[in-house]
Amino acid sequence: MTSARRKLLQKGGLWAATVVVLFFVLAPMLWILDSSFQGENELLTRPSHLLPQQPTVGNFDYIFTGAIPRSFEVTGTLRSRISQEAREVPQALENSIIVAVAVTIANAVLGALAAYSFARLRFAGKTLAFNFLLGSRLLPAIAVAIPYYAIINAANLLDTYTGLILVDLTFTLPFTVWFLRDHFRALPEEIEEAALIDGCGRLQVLFRIVLPLAAPGLVAAGAFAFMFSYNEFLFALLLTQTIKSQTLPVILASVATNPDASLALTAASVVLAMVPPLLFALGFQRFLARGLVAALGRT
Amino acid sequence: MKDLENLTAELAGGRLSRREFVQRVVGLGLSGTAAFALMEACGQGSQSSGSIQLSFVTWSYGVSTIQDNIKKFQSSHKNVQIQFQDFAWTNYHDTMVARFTGKTPTDICYSSDHWLSEWAAARWITPLSSGFSDLTSYKSDYFPYVLQGMTYQGKLYGIPYYADTWAFLYNQDHLQRAGISTPPQTWEELTQQALEIKSKGIANYPVLLLFSQSDPGSIEVWESMVFSRQDGHLFDDNLNPVFNRAGSAAAKVIDWIRDAMNNARIMDPASLTSEEIPVVKAMASGAHTFTILETYNQAELNKSGSGPFAGKFKMAPMPGETHNTVGYVRFYAVTDQLTRRPPDVQKAADQFLQYFGGKVNGTFSPVVVRWAVENGLGFGWKSLWDDQQVRTAFSQWGDPDMLRRNQELARIKEGLTKYFPDWDVFTRAELQKAYLGQTSTQAALDAMAEKWKSLKQGNS
Amino acid sequence: MANVTAATEAGRTPALRRRPGPGREAIYAYLTLLPVLLVVAAFSLYPILYAAYLSLHKELLTDPGDHHFVGFGNYVDVFHSFYLVDSVTSTLVFVLMSVPAVMVFGLLVALLLNQAFAGAGILRVAVLLPWALPPVVSGIIWRWILNDDYGVLNSILRQLSIVHYAIPWLSNPQLARVALVFAQVWHEGPLAAIFLLAGLRAIPAETYGAARVDGAGWWAIFRHITLPLLRAPLLLVLIYETIVAAVTFDLVYIMTGGGPANATALVSWFAYTEVFKFVNLGNGSALAFLIAAALLVIILGYLRALRVESNR
Repeated sequence: MTSARRKLLQKGGLWAATVVVLFFVLAPMLWILDSSFQGENELLTRPSHLLPQQPTVGNFDYIFTGAIPRSFEVTGTLRSRISQEAREVPQALENSIIVAVAVTIANAVLGALAAYSFARLRFAGKTLAFNFLLGSRLLPAIAVAIPYYAIINAANLLDTYTGLILVDLTFTLPFTVWFLRDHFRALPEEIEEAALIDGCGRLQVLFRIVLPLAAPGLVAAGAFAFMFSYNEFLFALLLTQTIKSQTLPVILASVATNPDASLALTAASVVLAMVPPLLFALGFQRFLARGLVAALGRT
Repeated sequence: MKDLENLTAELAGGRLSRREFVQRVVGLGLSGTAAFALMEACGQGSQSSGSIQLSFVTWSYGVSTIQDNIKKFQSSHKNVQIQFQDFAWTNYHDTMVARFTGKTPTDICYSSDHWLSEWAAARWITPLSSGFSDLTSYKSDYFPYVLQGMTYQGKLYGIPYYADTWAFLYNQDHLQRAGISTPPQTWEELTQQALEIKSKGIANYPVLLLFSQSDPGSIEVWESMVFSRQDGHLFDDNLNPVFNRAGSAAAKVIDWIRDAMNNARIMDPASLTSEEIPVVKAMASGAHTFTILETYNQAELNKSGSGPFAGKFKMAPMPGETHNTVGYVRFYAVTDQLTRRPPDVQKAADQFLQYFGGKVNGTFSPVVVRWAVENGLGFGWKSLWDDQQVRTAFSQWGDPDMLRRNQELARIKEGLTKYFPDWDVFTRAELQKAYLGQTSTQAALDAMAEKWKSLKQGNS
Repeated sequence: MANVTAATEAGRTPALRRRPGPGREAIYAYLTLLPVLLVVAAFSLYPILYAAYLSLHKELLTDPGDHHFVGFGNYVDVFHSFYLVDSVTSTLVFVLMSVPAVMVFGLLVALLLNQAFAGAGILRVAVLLPWALPPVVSGIIWRWILNDDYGVLNSILRQLSIVHYAIPWLSNPQLARVALVFAQVWHEGPLAAIFLLAGLRAIPAETYGAARVDGAGWWAIFRHITLPLLRAPLLLVLIYETIVAAVTFDLVYIMTGGGPANATALVSWFAYTEVFKFVNLGNGSALAFLIAAALLVIILGYLRALRVESNR
């Protein structure tokens, strides 16, 4: 076999593999997107319409304006059931983003402060504190569901952003600290030493030297925290009560499983829920990969 | 506890700040949760001189209707403020467990016959006391299953929100195309009709049943199939299992399902993972002919726009010798917390319950009529069938006489004790193993009986 | 996670020089740790102690008057429970199928992403997307696609005449298990791929260069260079994915609800069921501690196996 032919074959193989993986990854999401532009009736026809034959934005229109889609049109005194919870998706989207952004920022600030001390400083109880942080994540979340509810309730924080943020922080901070500590350790210590000798404090060193160098790692840790709190379901379910604080997974579960669920509105709600994490993943994927490379680079 | 009462009194009288109160309560060795729960209670108590706040919790169905009902109630009861919260139906029970355990203020909430024993035994909800005398006077007008479903240890725990029955539904269009004139009277006849429909290629699996392990409805469908047969009982009067005796109705039901699924292939194996909504959607798409669903789903199936067979879905008595079926009631329950609130709050709660589930000036409250007329929800009252408006509304998608007859044939689920949830979870999986042929019918029933006996013993 | 770090730490020489003098630096360190430790302690020490207390007492909510000390009675109950064998089996099956599947998927995709061709760029953007979605959403999507009446997969298979009748993907115990693994790979595979890609990138190019000069084939290079150098990230992914799979809850809750016939009822599902369905907080907490203990044993086992191998 000539080397040119071999190269061509190799390239073809790579592209074929790429297409297969892309299909597996994207097809389910595209199908939901496709479905969100179909009416309820069309979704129930068999075989399924791979492309909407009567494309409609009615499902999205209902979510944002409350205008009943044509496929649910009133006839007689009874209207077909419609998931009213779908109307709460925009507010839930806002709640989710507020909670996730707050958790992300708190993780970046508090996590970086603690991680740097773990990485560079010597003090009594260091190993104990570190192992305690990581060990705290071993107990399955379900075990502490009732105690969490009791604490949040006792602090009068049920149905508030603060309650959710605190709980999400407990789950994300240990990972952030661990991740950033290893990240900071991988940085060359000499620059920091020089700055310290020049009279900079630890805090200045952290903010002026370490963090700029560790930016990709910080972004990666932030992204993990964002994803976690945006996606968390069990505690959001237990600790929220009204749309004042209910996040998307709670509303989605409700839209999808309530007795008045409709497939079309579920699809439209899911599509809306996918937008922020997808934008996030797209925007930060380079940092994510770089952050991970840097974190693992020393191994 | 005496110290605590003194403390509470001091707080209510304004002699203690909240912070001091918490410190001293914690000093007494109480958990913070209890302290805050007490404080909540006190906070509400002190507000009662002005406007009365009632906390009302429901699952998320017809939320805008509920909100509108609340608005109307408040406009005629100016001093009462309703704090309304709703949770998704699928998570409602679990959310309420956390809520009651955490002592979150709740005065009135939806409950169900399914949970009554558990909630009453845990002392989360309370029987309707003498303060609610009018509410207890309606007993004779309820269908028997409705009254049974709200009664625990001889005491009445609520007033119906809605009360439905499980009904045998079929696609009339499929039957016509197969040349079948009347729906099946027995399970054997159902098998024959289904085979006929299958052989003509009208539906590959004419039967689809709601048997998903995760849907609490699955045990209700199964019990309704047991009830419909001769001697269709699970337990004797002393709650001893009879379902594992040779040739029991329960054994016949399982054998029928095994045959339908694995030999005759008339029942869709997807039944084992089908919850209520997928069953309704699949029936609407015309993929199947026969099913068992709550009657309000007949309304959903027959509304124009719900699918190509809208208007073709009919109801028949459950096949079998007795035609008995399962009925259930969802009701407004009063929490134990409410009994510790001032008399004027309890009076407001009484008015609220009347308006939402009972009668106003001797006639059915607008809320009761509205759920029936606008949403097609079944109701617990015999005499509401005399209302012309209600009959007209139900005639649009069903047969009022058939619906009423099903309610008379309905019985509450058997085995509703505080340990029923444990047995239910065990049984759902055990039944599926039997349907799939992983165990024999008798082995499954024996295991269910063993489980029941040990639970009964452990809870006596 | 703790032990991963402990291991990597143990395997490394101590950091260079440390600045002496505890005084001010230690105070600074404590101040910076304080917020993190406070939040985590408030939401782990108290709940864990509370859960430990519950696990040693009778805490059945339907019996509100009785909270006596039962010692390890709740643990005994769990061992005698009807669900233990079924759920441990289901969990083991799920872990043993999904973890290797996720790792193989992750490794293959990472190798693909590490190639220099235009497709890698497109794929790198796309592959992360499923991981970003809430597991609840993944569950909803897959359950819908696999529905046998109006699901699109059966619809396509039938139109292409690959099957004559719809396949009940989620209603056959074996197929349901496979379907769950598919959804898990879809959701978790991307993260594994990105992690392993990071590991691949960290391998210096010279390492390969030397091997190529020696005339080694791609398999030899993969077997003797890439794989050994990827050991740390692989172990990390292995431990992480094992934990994730062993305590999977949302996905199962939405997709199968534990059925059919308990084929997908994992131990975490029963931990939830004990607390929220049986309202038995005592048994539920005991089961949770048993799960935590089992996880610990598995993690320590992995680490030990790794150490034994590296000492060989």
